[in-house]
Amino acid sequence: MNNKNILIKQILYLVLPVISVLLLIVLWFFASSVNRVLVPTPGDVIDRFVKTFTNPINNQYIWGHIWASLRRVLIALFFSCSIGIPFGILIGWNKTAEATVGSLFELIRPIPPIAWLPLIVMLLGIGEIPKILIVFIGTFTPIVLNTATSIKLVDPLYLDVGKMFNANSMKLLFNIALPASMPAIFAGFRTATSGGLMVVMAAEMIGAQEGLGFIIQRGMDAFDVPLIMVGMVVIGLVGVFLAVVTNYLEKLVCHG
Amino acid sequence: MDKKLRLRINEISKSYKLKKKDYHKVIDSLSLDIFDNEFLVILGPGHCGKTVLLNIIAGLETPDVGFVELDGVKIDGPNPDMGMVFQKTGVFPWLTVMENVELGPRFKGEAKSERRERAQKYINLVGLQGFESHRPPQLSGGMKQRVGIARAYTNNPEILIMDEPFGALDAQTRYSMEEEISNIWSIEKRTVIFVTNNIEEALALGDRIVLLTECPARVKEIYEVNMPRPRDLMSEEFLLLRQKISENTDLSIDSEV
Repeated sequence: MNNKNILIKQILYLVLPVISVLLLIVLWFFASSVNRVLVPTPGDVIDRFVKTFTNPINNQYIWGHIWASLRRVLIALFFSCSIGIPFGILIGWNKTAEATVGSLFELIRPIPPIAWLPLIVMLLGIGEIPKILIVFIGTFTPIVLNTATSIKLVDPLYLDVGKMFNANSMKLLFNIALPASMPAIFAGFRTATSGGLMVVMAAEMIGAQEGLGFIIQRGMDAFDVPLIMVGMVVIGLVGVFLAVVTNYLEKLVCHG
Repeated sequence: MDKKLRLRINEISKSYKLKKKDYHKVIDSLSLDIFDNEFLVILGPGHCGKTVLLNIIAGLETPDVGFVELDGVKIDGPNPDMGMVFQKTGVFPWLTVMENVELGPRFKGEAKSERRERAQKYINLVGLQGFESHRPPQLSGGMKQRVGIARAYTNNPEILIMDEPFGALDAQTRYSMEEEISNIWSIEKRTVIFVTNNIEEALALGDRIVLLTECPARVKEIYEVNMPRPRDLMSEEFLLLRQKISENTDLSIDSEV
């Protein structure tokens, strides 16, 4: 009786996601049947996607555009990690640093990264560096914030353990507080990754010549709705790819 | 018995600020002498002062008044001659059992082969052989506390402070851990300061039992326990002493277990 119920539940949880996806597709087809120009069918989108491999958009196949967006995000992430993690450690660990540079950071932090866009475009133009800079602004904040908070809130018990073993403050920081904070730093990295994708889309919609944001913008200009949707789906897949890589890295660093 | 004084706790008091001008006194001019190689149990009710007292002895906190002396030298910070087993274990989840246990000597910069050998000895002593490369999230509560005990011993402390180490364990595990800690103490003589809120545990382990008062903590009475180890928890002597201590307290003990 009980076992049977459990089995039914297990099957249900297996089947329900499939049903949800099917329902979405049915709904999609229905919307397409009302207005196929504004809402192309899934088939139209797949056709358009396949075409991006043979017909270049602005001299680039789809891989080129994926790489353009991914490259901007990765470069920005590289810089926000290599500057943001040490900066977060500093303001999380050192009261003076928190009071000085930390408070400056707190002042600038609430400005959404996209709000910087016009200013940066006016100052630096529409080249590669301003785009990376804007993604950097979007990814820097969550990394600094998570690092600083977790370093600051590290369990005092762990530090007491270190003190009992006569650890100096460098050992307390690098052998205890930092490894204890790794999961939270990775959580910040995850937030930064999805934030970075969000910001890169916006940045590429202003004066870019390549990238997935550019593709979406081009689809809108040319009234090519399937292309817009291709851009949306592909950036989603890039997000999934980055999440998988991040999880793998986290397992490697934090030992599961 | 020839008793050599190791630790002298002299008239210490400690208060914590709750709100403005509202102080909560947890220790009130407490004095206590602790002798070499004795197993001293500090027995106290509920949530008052015990952990603070240990932290002061360990040098992690400072008393408002009074002082603690180790071999005649005033303590003003954590001392390498002391080791601590924490109530909440404090084992590091990001390190393996072996890496946790060898932490003290590693911080001192001792050579790897040397410290590993000693760590292995204590891992075996607490019965964790085969789990060296496991990580704490894979271990039970009792096993984590064993890691904590092995970690403290591996640093070769002369004085071992244990803060309700078995408080979070189930009764069964608790009994076997008590037996083991008593065994380890017989093999590896150290001065042990063991805090508990459990009379039975105190009687099973202590050479002397220091009964504390309720908040603020003061020494209410000291009992000498002269029963052979391992102790028979049902012997007449045991039960008599248990009743005597129990009558002297209105322990709301075991309330937090």
